[in-house]
Amino acid sequence: MSDKKKQVTRRQFLNYTLTGVGGFMAAGMLISPLRMAIDPVLQPSGDGDFANVGLSVDDITTEPQPVEWEVEQVDAWYKSDVTRKAFVFKNDQDEIVALSPKCTHLGCMVSWEGSESHPDQFYCPCHDGRFTKDGTNVEGTPPLEPLHVYEHKVENGMLFLGKAYPRGEA
Amino acid sequence: MKRGKGMKYVGDSRVSAEKTSTTPKDYSEYPGRTVAFWPNFLLTEWLAGSVFLVGFLTLVLTHPSPLEGMADPTTAGYIPLPDWYFLFLYELLKYKYAGGDYVLLGVVVIPGLAFGALLLAPFLDNGPGRRPSQRPIATSMMLLALIATIWLTYDSASAVDWEARAEANKPIPPSEVEIDTSDPGYEVYKNSCASCHGDNLTDGAAGPPLIGIDYTADEIAKISVEGIGNMPAGVFDGTDEELEQLAEFIFTINEENKEE
Amino acid sequence: MLQKMYDWIDERIDITPIWRDIADHEVPEHVNPAHHFSAFVYCFGGLTFFVVVIQILSGMFLTMYYVPDIENAWKSVYYLQTQVAHGQIVRGMHHWGASVVIVMLLLHTLRVFFQGAYKKPRELNWMVGVLLFFVMLGLGFTGYLLPWDNKAYFATEVGLNIAGQVPLIGDWLITLLGGHPEIIGAQTLTRFFAIHVFFLPAALFALLAVHFILIRRQGISGPL
Repeated sequence: MSDKKKQVTRRQFLNYTLTGVGGFMAAGMLISPLRMAIDPVLQPSGDGDFANVGLSVDDITTEPQPVEWEVEQVDAWYKSDVTRKAFVFKNDQDEIVALSPKCTHLGCMVSWEGSESHPDQFYCPCHDGRFTKDGTNVEGTPPLEPLHVYEHKVENGMLFLGKAYPRGEA
Repeated sequence: MKRGKGMKYVGDSRVSAEKTSTTPKDYSEYPGRTVAFWPNFLLTEWLAGSVFLVGFLTLVLTHPSPLEGMADPTTAGYIPLPDWYFLFLYELLKYKYAGGDYVLLGVVVIPGLAFGALLLAPFLDNGPGRRPSQRPIATSMMLLALIATIWLTYDSASAVDWEARAEANKPIPPSEVEIDTSDPGYEVYKNSCASCHGDNLTDGAAGPPLIGIDYTADEIAKISVEGIGNMPAGVFDGTDEELEQLAEFIFTINEENKEE
Repeated sequence: MLQKMYDWIDERIDITPIWRDIADHEVPEHVNPAHHFSAFVYCFGGLTFFVVVIQILSGMFLTMYYVPDIENAWKSVYYLQTQVAHGQIVRGMHHWGASVVIVMLLLHTLRVFFQGAYKKPRELNWMVGVLLFFVMLGLGFTGYLLPWDNKAYFATEVGLNIAGQVPLIGDWLITLLGGHPEIIGAQTLTRFFAIHVFFLPAALFALLAVHFILIRRQGISGPL
């Protein structure tokens, strides 16, 4: 009986050692691949550079006007120029506001006064989503949050826009 | 084990409802001395595997995997080489009776016979004896093939200057290098050097890339005039002032692109 | 908890005999290096398999970054090597593993050959093993092109030209492998990628399965 007991403990010991050695091998094989795989997650999210959108501050009116500009987008080994769009206007406090035209519902492009029945509002043709002039989503339409706001700065009288953030986070 | 009537199954499946024994068998009393695969044998095997893994990872960590410049079919004078385990086949074709008019021998017959014999070895060597001494023909054929393969590989590899090869084919990311084409040195470069070293200093038809080199401006000027390696002397035929501009231009570009 | 889950599954599909068969089979002492150190020659096969596992794992992870396209293949490899943490190491594992697996395979083959372990009744397993060797060489050949650097390009050109020397089917062979009778380019790369990543590994898995099942059925050959 005591012999049998001894046999089992020896086996258990071997099992533990085996698990340890197996774990060591698995770790040796997997640490680098896993570190490589999660590398994009660990990259610091760079604050977007500001780009000159080619609009003089003096030309900004209280009426939202669409602007387009190109930024160089570096996607790992692939570099490309992508076009960004914004609606730029001055609000009641005479502050510059640049709104992203991307509907917060499903990402369609909204347009200013895009629907004749809703003047003074941004209108999304996909699901009839609407936003007021300051970007607030209209109750009862599909979008659930306001249009995102571009961070902006003014240099030498020209407007520079950066990244778009949800309102309140910029 | 029960058979026929009286067997119980799980539901209407074919899985027996009787529990199979979970006590491990004990082989210690078996004739012929054996050990159980799990955990006894596997532990030995995995310990060997761990030692192997440590050695392998050391190799990997100390030897970065090589990467040459991006494939460019117009690279002149590039001597192609396969990976080392194909070198023996490659070298074989250089022999008179395995290449040229006899290429069929080198490409199909010899490798075909060798690998065919390897595949069919159990049928060619079908005697009962297993010891190498009991089957001299098979053993000597294998030894011969082994020596031939090693010799061919060695012969092929020893003719190659591996370090110079790696040095000449360093990868340069094309987009990283910005060339100031308004520099007066660039004008000189275009006239004297670009035909061999390429417009971008890196994509030349005959010369190696000029970015990633480690020379001072004076040395560059000297090489431009006197040549180096395969580069002949007297390629540059401008004034001294132009030479200075050229050397300064190439030197500055290398300085700017050093830390990449 | 785990025990209960296991019992639940075991009651339904009776998995105990399956792993018992693998775990409990006996291994003759003469192949165990713990008993005779010279038995380490029997490790070569297992170590070959170990490197194959490393190759499969590192290869799977490498495809997260690699693109088989002549414009971007080299750039993606360069990016992986220089910008991605541990990318250099993972590519190194795959690169050196490709060489090490050939070495181990050779040692394993020589062990089996010089011990005459391929003799009756193990002829079939020897042939499966030689086919595995061929598959491995094929993986080496196709994988060599994928980084799309100069040495890859020119080595493949030579390799395809050699294939073209084969009488009658030579040209046909080049087109089949390279995707085009003359150009080594976009189609060659995608073909080599597909062969390297799907076709040959599939053959490898099938042959490995047969190899192991045969070993298990026939047992390891006795001592000399």
